[in-house]
Amino acid sequence: MIGSTVTPAVAAADVSITPTVAQVTPIEASLLVFVVVTAFATALARDVLAAVIVFGAYSLGMAALYVFYRAPDVALTEAAISAGVTTVLLLLTLAKTTRIEHEAAFESVDYPAAAAAGLLFVGLALTTAEIPAVGSPDAPVWSNPDVTQWYLTETYAVTGVENTVMAVLAAFRGFDTFGEAVVVFAAGIAALIVLRQEVFT
Amino acid sequence: MSDASEPDGRRESSGSTDTEGGGASRGVNRETTAPSRTDRLGTTSQQGTPYTESQVIMSTVKFVSPFALTYGLFVTFHGGGSPGGGFQGGAIAAAVVFMIAFAFGIDATRRWLANAVVVGLAVGGALVFAAIGLIPVALGGAFLQYDLLPVPLLDPVKYGMEAVEILGIATIVSGVLTGLFFVLARGFNRDGLDAPTIGRQPNGGTDADRGTTERGEP
Repeated sequence: MIGSTVTPAVAAADVSITPTVAQVTPIEASLLVFVVVTAFATALARDVLAAVIVFGAYSLGMAALYVFYRAPDVALTEAAISAGVTTVLLLLTLAKTTRIEHEAAFESVDYPAAAAAGLLFVGLALTTAEIPAVGSPDAPVWSNPDVTQWYLTETYAVTGVENTVMAVLAAFRGFDTFGEAVVVFAAGIAALIVLRQEVFT
Repeated sequence: MSDASEPDGRRESSGSTDTEGGGASRGVNRETTAPSRTDRLGTTSQQGTPYTESQVIMSTVKFVSPFALTYGLFVTFHGGGSPGGGFQGGAIAAAVVFMIAFAFGIDATRRWLANAVVVGLAVGGALVFAAIGLIPVALGGAFLQYDLLPVPLLDPVKYGMEAVEILGIATIVSGVLTGLFFVLARGFNRDGLDAPTIGRQPNGGTDADRGTTERGEP
């Protein structure tokens, strides 16, 4: 195994990525605020149509945030599936149902539920001090020579593709991906059965 | 383009601009829910598909959709060297069909896109993925053991993975998402539910008849 002989710093130099502790830039900060605001608006909006549209905006904000956190594969999926396809399918479903007109724009807050959610938030927020900073070289996910560094350094030699994420999905964890593809296929069949249709188009 | 709901759609859109604060959302609402407010799960013939013809949207989609489809194919085919892959590329390709349906009407797009294409994409992708996974098993290896694939002249690992991404995952995702779109747009099929088939027995009797005869027996 290469991990026993190569230190993380050398392995990092091999793949020409130097980990740096990231500061929160103004764009990231504004994206975080945007995501939190749209999340609250989605939860509190009384009109379902408004909630669906704001939820699409939330997904787009999350996709942009994933790009800043150097997860472009996740960002592409979030933008295409959550912001695009899911919003369209929800809007189509809304068009098939009745929409109730509301006087108030927002739901009334359920205070016991809000208190429980706030307690959970505070409990989770207390743990953030122990989480390594984004891009920190001491983060376990980065400095692990046996797992992460092995995939980063050996993926091309083993599989012949440069995108480690795709190599993990299609080769190293290919059986899981086969299961996911079958789940997507089953979703199409299930929609046909539940809606009592016989053809897609 | 010359959809049956075109005149109604025009009138609705022009009417909603007169009302203050109406907007597109209220127009859509009025179109779709007006025919049957009480019947939430109506068929297409009862509710119709919401469609408002717009020159701006049609021109934009005509211009954008070739680029969007090319981007979806790029994300799919170039997934080995850049962010992306079959899942994302298939979703983008399906989104192109969504755009066309929004611009030119869902029913018109439904007639343009054959059901065999959608089913063929979904089923064919699942079969290709299963075949690539099971061929090495048949040759004595493990599931998806790419180096056992009998591919001449090419690196079987690299091109086996690309085949799974392009011919397997991307086709399943694009086919199923496109199918979900049209199935949800058509809505719940009530045919067969209105007739009291549930209580009717094969011999022509009903539940009530059977109940009395069974109770009559000692």
